[in-house]
Amino acid sequence: MENYMLLAPEIILALVGLTILLTGLFIGTNNKNILGYIASAGLIAALCLTISNISVNETMFYGTITIDALSQFFKIVFISVSLLVAIASIKYTEGNKSTDEFFTLLLFSTIGMMVVASANDLITLFIGFELASLCTYALAGFEKNNPKSIEASMKYFIIGSLSSALMLFGISFVYGMTGTTSIPGIAENAGALAASPIGLIAVVMLIAGFGFKMALVPFHMWAPDTYQGAPTVVSALLAAGSKKMGFVAAFRVLVIALAVLSPTWQTAFAALAIITMTLGNVVAISQTSVKRMLAYSSVAQAGYIAMAFVVMTPMALAGGILYTLSHAFMKTGAFLVVAVVGYMVLSDNKNAKDIDHLDNFKGLAKRMPITAFAMMVFVFALSGIPPTAGYVSKFILFSSTIESGLVWLAVIAILNSALSLYYYARIVKYMYFLPASGGKVSEPLPYAIAIILALAGVLVIGIWPEPFVYWAMEAAKVLMI
Amino acid sequence: MTYIVSLMILVPLIGAVLTLLTQTKEQARSIALVSSLAPLVGALYMMMQFNSLTPAMQFVESFDWIPSLGVKYMVGVDGIAMPLVLLAAIVVPATIIYSWGESKDANQFFALILALQAGVMGVFTSLDFFLFYIFWELTLIPMYFLISIWGGPKKEYAAIKFFIYTHVASLVMLLGIFAIYFAVWAQTGIPSFEIPYLLEQFQFLESSMLRDSIFLAMLFGFIVKMPAVPFHTWLPDAHVEAPTAGSVLLAAVLLKMGGYGLFRVMLPMLPFTGSPDLMISILAFIGVLSILYGAMLALAQTDLKKMVAYSSISHMGYVTLGAAALVPLSVSGAMFQQFSHGLITCLLFMSCGAIQHIAGTRVIAELGGLGQKMPKLTVLMLFGFMASLGLPGLSGFIAEFMILTFAYITLPGYVLLALLGIVVTAGYHLWAIQRSMFGVLNDKLGHLHDITNYETLSMGILALLVLYFGLNPSPVLDMMTTNAEQIVSLMALAGV
Repeated sequence: MENYMLLAPEIILALVGLTILLTGLFIGTNNKNILGYIASAGLIAALCLTISNISVNETMFYGTITIDALSQFFKIVFISVSLLVAIASIKYTEGNKSTDEFFTLLLFSTIGMMVVASANDLITLFIGFELASLCTYALAGFEKNNPKSIEASMKYFIIGSLSSALMLFGISFVYGMTGTTSIPGIAENAGALAASPIGLIAVVMLIAGFGFKMALVPFHMWAPDTYQGAPTVVSALLAAGSKKMGFVAAFRVLVIALAVLSPTWQTAFAALAIITMTLGNVVAISQTSVKRMLAYSSVAQAGYIAMAFVVMTPMALAGGILYTLSHAFMKTGAFLVVAVVGYMVLSDNKNAKDIDHLDNFKGLAKRMPITAFAMMVFVFALSGIPPTAGYVSKFILFSSTIESGLVWLAVIAILNSALSLYYYARIVKYMYFLPASGGKVSEPLPYAIAIILALAGVLVIGIWPEPFVYWAMEAAKVLMI
Repeated sequence: MTYIVSLMILVPLIGAVLTLLTQTKEQARSIALVSSLAPLVGALYMMMQFNSLTPAMQFVESFDWIPSLGVKYMVGVDGIAMPLVLLAAIVVPATIIYSWGESKDANQFFALILALQAGVMGVFTSLDFFLFYIFWELTLIPMYFLISIWGGPKKEYAAIKFFIYTHVASLVMLLGIFAIYFAVWAQTGIPSFEIPYLLEQFQFLESSMLRDSIFLAMLFGFIVKMPAVPFHTWLPDAHVEAPTAGSVLLAAVLLKMGGYGLFRVMLPMLPFTGSPDLMISILAFIGVLSILYGAMLALAQTDLKKMVAYSSISHMGYVTLGAAALVPLSVSGAMFQQFSHGLITCLLFMSCGAIQHIAGTRVIAELGGLGQKMPKLTVLMLFGFMASLGLPGLSGFIAEFMILTFAYITLPGYVLLALLGIVVTAGYHLWAIQRSMFGVLNDKLGHLHDITNYETLSMGILALLVLYFGLNPSPVLDMMTTNAEQIVSLMALAGV
């Protein structure tokens, strides 16, 4: 008998999603606010249940689903991001008649990500990937009358489909050579893959497939356009949540199933990590749109996390895993701040263009002191300044490179980190040193709550990292068997 | 166990938050003064309880923080740290009193000063590298804002240069910290960031190349902060653009973090590096180069504040030289130089700030005869300048005398070179004060008035302390000597 309680978070989210969809049919647009609260409540319940099952280690449904420290850790990442996005979206979707669809898609994409985190079989993994992706394609184009949003959605959809195809192609090679799609099964039979050139092709295909989701250079082309064009709350979900799906999939498939081929993909990731972080940071410097800058910074951050695949010590994996959690809070928070600033600009002037332009951050400290302070913490965290989550994660991840003697990698990462400070500090400069161009504005409550929660996440991980480090290490142990 | 050390970090931090929340400048400055006086009371209490006869850590507090990584919250002081804690506790209230009239965003201004104090107290007392690095980086942020909000015309350039320059240096130091952490972990099987423990284990690391790399990486972080020539270029910019309070804190406290690292981390490691003689030569060379080059540059400056900034580089060179000599009394002289320079440089920067504020310019050639209109400032400034050039009876003399005399035992060549610096130092100090304060009053300066009572009070207190420690250095010098002897005894242990 399967223990369905372990899947309770997914089941709850599915039920809540369907409830919202049905309820949405019967209530008027003005009352649809309530749906956001329902979605948030469902996510909170799922989060609590996931945390309560954090130390479980079981496989279910003929070995296709596994519940272990790794899956639970990533589920916490996904649910947290969705929760923050859902809370902020209560305000964003206010007065929109498609509110019910928005929240349903949000919840279903979260379930997709959670399935990927738990997948112990390549087919399950692929289904999770597709569920999450299809929902987010639609979410990216949520502003149906905004050409930029449609463009973002189309671009994301086309490139996303290509990456799915590549991934599926890679999976088919792996299946052909090993005769199974089960991850532990592949690990047992991976000798055949390693012995033939097909193994190399499969690894390349899989890295390309996952790389699109992680937005590693050169698979990152869609990310800046999509993050910039999509509604800001959705950008937060994409950058902080769905990107991590690529990482957890790569952890499961490459590190566990294809461990034999590690020399191949370690080399590939070394090159990808370095190019990704350097290009992301260098291009971010010249951006004037804060959203686009955050998009490139998110590319760079993926480069840092990819270092975990290069170093491959328990410390490095724990660092990478912890980084995904920290990044979830920092990035969601930063995008939500951009969303609030957009709201502020639009309330000044309904027809404002370029609402994510850096100039709109001028004097933010005077106009919205709490938001400005939060943004300062987020960008300092992204650049790795203590005592924030970004610092602790970078500390562990970068230190692990020294442990395995990869000093060159540490030096490159650290120089990148210093480089990134330049554009992050520029935002702080705009917020605190330049004169404001309007009066004081009070943040809408949902945004304020979401931002404060993200801020709390960043600071709690930074100041009291022990439980998070411990669970990241437990999750890393799953990978090191 | 008392929590006095933690309180000395926490009180300014809470004070900073409270100050930030105030509405008027009167409230802001009163709360700031009270919360900065609390650490002073604490520091004085610690001084009274302190046992100068043992090099061991005192007032230690230790809690597990991130046991998975071996990170502890561990703070404490010894003879190296205690005087610097006292220095920070004296300088910050003096700066707040000096800036009593600050009216631009006074709540933020005083909050940042207090945050800086918390960071600095943390650096001087942390006994865990993780914690140490956090505080080390935290001192950057308030300083960055102090320069870039209240600074001069090129403030943004100076602030970002200061931030990135010292941040990169800290990152290199961080690499060194990682290396020693993992090397010791691999060696002993115990993860730990505890500074005394790691320093103790350093000698057992097998690869001498690893030991040298660790040493050099951490050295880089510290000497950029000091700063030593050739890594000094961020300092003049930061000083010239910073507001007076920022310059004072930068020179009096932040630079001392670099010197502190030298005594806390570098010297205990030095005997066990692959080639101690080479490392000593590097340090001594950097020291003498800073003394001479800093003094020469100071001589060439036309801006009074820039001159004082370069004089800081020159004076911090004595710290490096004294440390490199590794004779107990030269090392304690170097520690005393840090303490004494911290007090003296406040006087100098406060004088520059007052002149800029009242006369509207700091260019030496445009000043002249200010003494006629500003007698109080002239007395205090002259006092500071005399102390800075090493007049016997004031604290600067004792420090530099000890360094030069005792460093001669092991590094005679370098000391003879450094002696040339004394002549230049006396030259630029006297020349600057003669042209700015004495002589004929420059009519173009307009209406001049003397410094306010608050400025007089803070500068007067500092001047009295310079005199006091010049006549009776033993309250701080004794504990420094105890620790210096212990550091030097490691050399004998290593057989160098």
